Amino acid sequence: MESRKTGNAPAHFNVGDLVRVKDLPNLFYSRTQMYVRGVRGTIAARTYEDLLPEDEAWNRDDAQPEQFYIVRFRQKDLWDGYPFENDTLQTELPDRWLEPAGH
Amino acid sequence: MPSRSELDLLYQIGSQLAPAIHQAQNWPYDVPHAQYEASLWPPHDVGGQPDAPVRYEEKEEEQWELDTYVTCEVLGWKGVWNAEERRRRGNNDIGLSLYYDFPYYGRWVLCAARMLVDKNHVSLLELLEKIAEVKARYGKP
Repeated sequence: MESRKTGNAPAHFNVGDLVRVKDLPNLFYSRTQMYVRGVRGTIAARTYEDLLPEDEAWNRDDAQPEQFYIVRFRQKDLWDGYPFENDTLQTELPDRWLEPAGH
Repeated sequence: MPSRSELDLLYQIGSQLAPAIHQAQNWPYDVPHAQYEASLWPPHDVGGQPDAPVRYEEKEEEQWELDTYVTCEVLGWKGVWNAEERRRRGNNDIGLSLYYDFPYYGRWVLCAARMLVDKNHVSLLELLEKIAEVKARYGKP
């Protein structure tokens, strides 16, 4: 396979930034869990550049790679009535699925 | 964004979209043969199933249905697909739940979107972002 274009993926966020996961419609395929959509989290790490899962799934190998991040959420923000204050959940999301969520 | 209780409702409804035998399935390795045959039965082969009487309704086509018809015909006229892959497969080979969950032309819209993504006329995320933009423009949740 040809090597992918990397090093030029737009990366709008840094570790510690508050982000909100976009609340896009569900259709056909997703790697963005329903329970994180519209929820605010914190960038825990910048990981790597890769194709969007939505592009990979349809062999769009020449699509623009995206910067991926580990995003950390408070469990209390994800689940109604979650009992423990300090528990967190981390998941991995690409830049395109995130928007800034203030400070 | 769905509230947490709306999200809970969504998951509850989703977990009820099990096969019509209403036994929760979780990728079992032991599938009785009759169940295997029933699962592979094409959902559009309608007829023969036990059912309660259904009220017959005379109904004019709604504008969105006419728009859907024309859109799909234009996609055919432009050579993007042909009538057979649309009618024979795209509208029908979608599993029992989707087949029964949507009206006739709803299945047309769904398969037009699927085809445009499958044939790389639009990327899935571009389509989702456009749908979100149009929904926001009309103030739809």
